[in-house]
Amino acid sequence: MTGPILSLRGVSKSFPQGGLLDRLLGRDGRLVALDDVSLDVMRGDVVGIVGESGSGKSTLAGLAVGLARPTSGDVLLDGQSMAELMRDHAGPWRRRVQMVFQDTSSALNPRKSVARCLGETLALRGVPKAQRESEIAELLTLVGLGPEIGPRLPHELSGGQRQRIGLARALAMKPEVLIADEPVSALDVSLQAQVINLLSRLTRELSLTLLFISHDLALVRTLCSRIVVMREGEIVEQGPCLDVLGRPQHPYTQALLAAVPKGLAGRRSPLPARADAAAPETREDIHGAA
Amino acid sequence: MSAALLTVEGLRVGFRSAYGGMVEAVRGVDFSVAPGEAVGIVGESGSGKSLSMLAVMRLLGASAGATGGRVIFDGEDLLAADEKRMRALRGRDIAMVFQDPQSSLNPALTIGRQITDVVRAHRDVSTGEARRIAAEALESVGIRDAGRRLAAYPHEFSGGMRQRALIAMAIACRPRLLIADEPTTALDVTVQAQIVDLIAELRRELGLAVVFISHNLQLVAEIVDRVVVMYGGKVVEDGPVEAIERAPRHPYTRLLKACVPSLTGPVGPLTAIEGTPPRLGRLPVGCPFSPRCPDAAESCGHQMPPLIAEAGHSTACWRPR
Repeated sequence: MTGPILSLRGVSKSFPQGGLLDRLLGRDGRLVALDDVSLDVMRGDVVGIVGESGSGKSTLAGLAVGLARPTSGDVLLDGQSMAELMRDHAGPWRRRVQMVFQDTSSALNPRKSVARCLGETLALRGVPKAQRESEIAELLTLVGLGPEIGPRLPHELSGGQRQRIGLARALAMKPEVLIADEPVSALDVSLQAQVINLLSRLTRELSLTLLFISHDLALVRTLCSRIVVMREGEIVEQGPCLDVLGRPQHPYTQALLAAVPKGLAGRRSPLPARADAAAPETREDIHGAA
Repeated sequence: MSAALLTVEGLRVGFRSAYGGMVEAVRGVDFSVAPGEAVGIVGESGSGKSLSMLAVMRLLGASAGATGGRVIFDGEDLLAADEKRMRALRGRDIAMVFQDPQSSLNPALTIGRQITDVVRAHRDVSTGEARRIAAEALESVGIRDAGRRLAAYPHEFSGGMRQRALIAMAIACRPRLLIADEPTTALDVTVQAQIVDLIAELRRELGLAVVFISHNLQLVAEIVDRVVVMYGGKVVEDGPVEAIERAPRHPYTRLLKACVPSLTGPVGPLTAIEGTPPRLGRLPVGCPFSPRCPDAAESCGHQMPPLIAEAGHSTACWRPR
């Protein structure tokens, strides 16, 4: 197989905008979230999709996983059109493309134990009941957790553990493509690193194709082989990750890179003198100056 | 050290547990902020960084409270002050900006009304004068056409503009101390850079002291003079930003720096801190970081290491490097 596993061909997505009154009066417009986007993702690629809020990166994720249909254009999986594959129901598509969400507390049903949540996903894949328990244990090991997690409810887990369960649930379908929408942005930095390393290992071991949606350029640089930079519903730059981040061509990519916090190298104010700082102004001075 | 503007001594904050008794989340925290100084408080969730500053502001809810220590602001113990006195200080002498600009603003009132309310609560000025001060504050945080923008409602502002409006509200009465609790976490990275620039600029112009709370050491290092690193309700390291960045002494600070990838240098697996941040009520008797620390000896978990100062740089670690 040499063709792309996932393709977007001239995909646009727009949403109705304005309230009910506007719509009744015919004043409604449409918000264009994705504007004529084309993208080919090859099998085994780890693609970072970056951009700010409103860039369309999450809309793109929703389309790729089949949660939404494009307004125009087509999404193809292994050369087959989404419209075709989803004619009867979404099952065949979803089995092959899975998603991990940002908010780990709302992505899991709070009343279902980890084992039940994973078991139901395995049932969807048609795994016979007798095998489910051992597969659940395998999945938990795969994401670096122990079988003792099985009976727990989501609220009994930490954010990092919940995200691993989200990942295990996605992997339970044995997908070819995994879409991760800001999977670590709600996690503490020490847990971010754990989950990123886990994603990196799993994509290699399971030969997964990964779309990693993020606003964190440094994380994308660590994890991804390719990068797609989006702005206001369009792709403004794409290419091999290290090339694009090392020699950004588009001014927007340059602006994003410039905004990343850089510690001492990015200082806004001079470093304080070693021993004693300059005498501060008094409140009277400040009010006098006003 | 000359007279500090804010001195926090042995501060303890506890929650009333659902099962009776107290769970301590801040367990004896000491640090100080000099007039005009910018201090970063860095730590992960559950480290006690936000709780400590909420205790300073006396803004803890009914289920939590300071259970010990002193908070001296300009010579006055805030933990002993009555509510009336606190109301006079808050917004006038000490102001706070929070993480989520959306929920910090009243959606039903105009931006102008919300800023003038703060001004009129603290200064005996006419409505017209309060509006003039509000417009000036809005102007100073970089909102153009400020006079007209006073009439806008929060939903008409973008996230970045809302945070600017809240900063305008915070500085309208020219406080001496601004506490910013993760003020950029909900914002895009380009907007984050603008807000951080703004805080640095206001600090220079107004001589404000700033306490900047964040989980991002790289971000904090861009604007503060000194960094206080917290873990498990304790200060584990406190030093000049340059020393913390170039030669951190505590293993937690070192790892915290290492687990954030950089935009330069070789690409490889990230340094991770194994385990999870500590849970309240399940902290070891000794060093709170010892269960996750690669350098820890068994004895580290037995007794809490004292915060030892050496040339203005303190560390609480039994085995510092």
